[in-house]
Amino acid sequence: MDVASIYYLGVTFLLFALFAVIVGRTYNRRDREKKEAPKYRMMDED
Amino acid sequence: MGQQEGYADDVVKGFIIWSIVWGLVAVLLGVLISLQLAWPQLNFPPYFTYGRLRPIHTNAGIFGWGIGSFMAFFFYITQRLTRTRLWSPKLARFQLCLFNVVIALAAITLAMGMNRSKEYAELEWPVALLVVVLWVIFSVNIIMTIVKRREEQMYISLWYIMAALVGVAVLYLVNNVGIPISLTKSYSAYAGANDANVQWWYGHNAVAMVLTAPPLALFYYFLPKSTGVPIYSHRMGVIAFWSLIFMYLWTGAHHLLWTPVPDWVQTLAMAFSIMLIAPSWGAVFNGYFSMNGQWHQMRDNYLVKFLIFGITFYGLQTLQGPSQAVRTFSGFIHYTDWVPGHVHMGTLGWVSLVLFASIYYIFPRLYGREIYSVGMVNLHFWLAVIGQLIFSISMWIAGVQQAAMLHATNPDGSLHYSFMETMIELYPYWHARAFGGVIYFASLLVFIYNLIKTATSGKPAPVAARP
Repeated sequence: MDVASIYYLGVTFLLFALFAVIVGRTYNRRDREKKEAPKYRMMDED
Repeated sequence: MGQQEGYADDVVKGFIIWSIVWGLVAVLLGVLISLQLAWPQLNFPPYFTYGRLRPIHTNAGIFGWGIGSFMAFFFYITQRLTRTRLWSPKLARFQLCLFNVVIALAAITLAMGMNRSKEYAELEWPVALLVVVLWVIFSVNIIMTIVKRREEQMYISLWYIMAALVGVAVLYLVNNVGIPISLTKSYSAYAGANDANVQWWYGHNAVAMVLTAPPLALFYYFLPKSTGVPIYSHRMGVIAFWSLIFMYLWTGAHHLLWTPVPDWVQTLAMAFSIMLIAPSWGAVFNGYFSMNGQWHQMRDNYLVKFLIFGITFYGLQTLQGPSQAVRTFSGFIHYTDWVPGHVHMGTLGWVSLVLFASIYYIFPRLYGREIYSVGMVNLHFWLAVIGQLIFSISMWIAGVQQAAMLHATNPDGSLHYSFMETMIELYPYWHARAFGGVIYFASLLVFIYNLIKTATSGKPAPVAARP
């Protein structure tokens, strides 16, 4: 495996790690109401 | 005065009207070229031929109808979700003029045969530069409105809007890098397999950033507004959004399976295409679950009918697409009429049905009038769905038949049918496709007549009246 492939793989893992952080933050139980609030706020009259 | 106080909606009206005009041109040309395929004697060189008219059809459809109406709805939705007036209405009005100039220039130059020979990136460099200017002023206006917002948290539609703005800019700039040799001719900066790879990275992600992200932004906004019930899960929407963004950009090379592009690139594209089912269906499920206890609205509320049929076509499209990205299946149906059947389920089914619903939602509000005829809305809906299904199903059958004929071999290994023999067998399907196109065109005429009557003689209605 050459350096370019390792770098490529590294970027891929980094992206997956970033995605995992986003999932973790989005589904954090403590923030549940806050994270769902926009769907109620957008229902206000235009 | 049908417009709501505080928001810059005059430009929304302008973009809606002009996008419908370009949409009508796109469908009319689509019908015309389908007739030219069915009856080749209808080709009149040099201007009135399939080769010249087909790119005008796709450009008018994707950029005129699609992007034109997305511009309208991005202005409309962003102002309301941020509770902030548009950053610069003057810039938006200039953008509307430039938009029409660019689309008209595109039609004229393509008709004259000025073409970069890259699908969906046909425009020669002077027109492409104008597209860049257009996109920059549009993006600045929307992003500055979001920056100035009075709503701290951003609803999921805004995420999709921002992704489309950034994504289109990156894709368009990279794929359009070229070397001009005159005012009307340039050559791509890339060559060979690299050029093909960049082209389909652009081509497939144009599907993502023009025909997926913006309609999803509209769907997430107009479904709850139409039903009066919030979406099922905002968090699921956010996760589906990020996974879609992570995965889409890797999939372009599935257009290049069985080509000289490196094998690992093809395999990577194939794998990510399959994975893309998850975020796509995340949005579909979010839409369906949002209808819990509300399914009766499919009968009572015409907007919901358009939106739910639209998201269903999106669901089917995002199962069919990944299937086509698998090497064995691609080897069978690629380069046959199956593919236009697939594409038109997305454009005529998913994208256009969501756009029709969105226009039916805001048009009465912008003009302060009730929709002229609900009966005509329903007629429009059924004509559009039936026309689209006739188009797509006839093409899928044609594709399978053509693929089977192209793959048939004699005992000695030679091909059983010539390419021309497969073409001759396709005529009945091309007639059916043209018939489907005519029905879809008729649906558009009903749609436009209803809107004109709504604007000119619809009953005055309260601004926030529900359909």
